[in-house]
Amino acid sequence: MKVTIKGYTGVAVWKWVANDDTCGICRMPFDSCCNDCKYPGDDCPLVWGQCSHCFHMHCIMKWVNGNQKSNQSCPMCRQAWKIKEK
Amino acid sequence: MAQRLQKELANFMRDPIPGMSLDRNLVEGNLNVWVINVDGAPNTLYEGEIFKLQFKFPQRYPFDSPSVMFIGNKIPEHPHIYSNGHICLSILTDEWSPALSVQSVCLSIVSMLSSCKAKSRPPDDERYVQTCRDPSDPKKTRWFFHDDSV
Repeated sequence: MKVTIKGYTGVAVWKWVANDDTCGICRMPFDSCCNDCKYPGDDCPLVWGQCSHCFHMHCIMKWVNGNQKSNQSCPMCRQAWKIKEK
Repeated sequence: MAQRLQKELANFMRDPIPGMSLDRNLVEGNLNVWVINVDGAPNTLYEGEIFKLQFKFPQRYPFDSPSVMFIGNKIPEHPHIYSNGHICLSILTDEWSPALSVQSVCLSIVSMLSSCKAKSRPPDDERYVQTCRDPSDPKKTRWFFHDDSV
């Protein structure tokens, strides 16, 4: 049998590869966006800390930019929060 | 904030902490103030006693901590709980983290009560209750933490 493909529609899915399913700050799934955003993905990216914990970038920035001194630490493990450069 | 509180409410209902139940009437209509009924745990000094624990959530919750205190005429007699209901607990102020939740705060308070060996008030209870900045908001107080043993 000989088949001729006349056309096709490609479909792709994406998901973040993180060590958890939900953001520990806003409790939204990582594959969804933080409470302030409308669209997940590049509009609402994830960041990893050197301690390996991961959050929506917007969530962790709101925490780190608060004015208390404890805010410089990771919400999960309280180690100093430093973004891991990949 | 509202979305996260909705989720916390759902979690609290689905996975309640033994001895703690939400005072439903007070939650309906206003998600920013929760009152939780606390039953003193069996085999502890507080067995048989019933308390009311109030959570008030600020606009910036969970980036700011909730105001948590005991209310009503029955305040647990505990070395870290003032007779006006204010609780001396570091995670409620200096050590707050947005990864904490109503459930984790409740667990801390239950374990604080359950590990108590002798009922007493904090040594500075009388002075604090008269002079604290705002009797209705323990977060206005500047807290110092010096005893991790109870």
